[in-house]
Amino acid sequence: MAMRIRDNVPDAERGRECSAAIGALFTGVFTMLDSWRTAVEKAGADNATTRIDSLVYSLVEPELTVADPLVIGAGFIAAPETALSQALHFAWWLGPLSDNPLLGTTTKPSRLDLASREYAEYLRDFRAFEWYQVPETTRAGHITGPYVDHLCTCDYILTLTVPVGVGGSMRGVVGADILVRRLEPEVLPLLRATESAIALVSSSGRVILSVSPTLRVGSIVSEASAASRGWDAVPCPGTQLKLLMGENI
Amino acid sequence: MSSELAPQPSSRGARAAVFAQLSGAGRSEQVAQRLIDAILLGVLTPGDRLPSEAELAQRFGVALVTAREALSAMRDAGLVETRRGREGGSFVLPVSRAPEALLWARLRGLARVDIEDSAVYFGVLSAGCTERAAEMAPDEEAARLRLWLDNADFAQVSDAARNAGGFYLEIAVISQSPRLVREQIRLQAEFGSLLWLGVADENLRRNIYGQNVKIAEAISAHDPEQARALVRGQLSELSSWLLAAKERIEQ
Repeated sequence: MAMRIRDNVPDAERGRECSAAIGALFTGVFTMLDSWRTAVEKAGADNATTRIDSLVYSLVEPELTVADPLVIGAGFIAAPETALSQALHFAWWLGPLSDNPLLGTTTKPSRLDLASREYAEYLRDFRAFEWYQVPETTRAGHITGPYVDHLCTCDYILTLTVPVGVGGSMRGVVGADILVRRLEPEVLPLLRATESAIALVSSSGRVILSVSPTLRVGSIVSEASAASRGWDAVPCPGTQLKLLMGENI
Repeated sequence: MSSELAPQPSSRGARAAVFAQLSGAGRSEQVAQRLIDAILLGVLTPGDRLPSEAELAQRFGVALVTAREALSAMRDAGLVETRRGREGGSFVLPVSRAPEALLWARLRGLARVDIEDSAVYFGVLSAGCTERAAEMAPDEEAARLRLWLDNADFAQVSDAARNAGGFYLEIAVISQSPRLVREQIRLQAEFGSLLWLGVADENLRRNIYGQNVKIAEAISAHDPEQARALVRGQLSELSSWLLAAKERIEQ
């Protein structure tokens, strides 16, 4: 993290620096996703699938194999080819895994193979997933979660997705998964550098991480409940995430 | 049963038990049954070569013709293929989706205590997931579960089995616990196809759908006790049906 939180300023100012640093962390990922989107859009709409697949792999492979990667999975999920079809095409890879319940331990990126996930056959239309539906509707980047991803990582993650498509057409989303576990060493020190930052929560108030044992990961702090405890919700710039600030009770 | 989902290391002990000697009537069925169970349980895996007819006969303590009949039945069921030549023999084929006949064979092969125990374990796990989902679910997630259920087909047998399992997986996801989700996936891979055999019964199929609607409502109403009781009730009904069906086919 390039941004530092100064200790010689009032705590409200440190809170803003903290939220800015968290915003910068995620903005970095969105900037990467924007460059992937441009690359996929440039490759054209009628590209053979295998060519798109190898293009996407060349984009995500360096991110997944870097030492201590921030993203655990990444790729491009293509819209159905015809209006009649619901089938999405997944050009999606998982980084090297240790002891994953589905894939075991891997040393190289492995491609998501949904056909091998028989338990997922009950899912009818993947476009209903938040990571697809919201960017499709808003035409903007979106952070889904924290949630249990049972299709891919089988873990607790955030998914960042950005819509792909020139001139309003929807060609799919490029995205990246980040383990909540991986965020803790990045973000907790930022919270601790302030007096009053308590938790990082999603747009719907779901706790991603917190320094308070009473605010459990995955639980929801509604706006009303935060207000009743006198907490401020400070937006993290460039994201829909919020930093809860106030007295730790 | 996908081997990726339910890794079943084939220990030497398990293999030895597959080929232990048999006694009593209907020996060719028994030989076939033993081998079918071994395939379904993953002790024998796709590509494995079975012992020759003569070896099978010797190891099971049956006549050569009995071993031959058993292999022939397994070929007919699409479980093994026999290749000729020097590298020939009978090889286990992949079982992507266990056909119903095999599930019935597996039901016959399992002890009552194990059926009961698996249903109890699945019931406790699912009741726990549901309880937590009822505590945790924000309104929009409860609404999404209800919408999924409204559009889920429970009229056809195969859809009903898939969706009955999918319903509990969705609930585990709402519980926000990766461990509970993984255990749901693992348990359903191991036991789900057998557990949902009961949806072949139209009444039970209708009951399950009705109960699932009530479970979704209890989650939506943040009523963990009601949600838990409904899940336990459903699992009790399913295991009763399985045990009754087992009694019928064994009489």
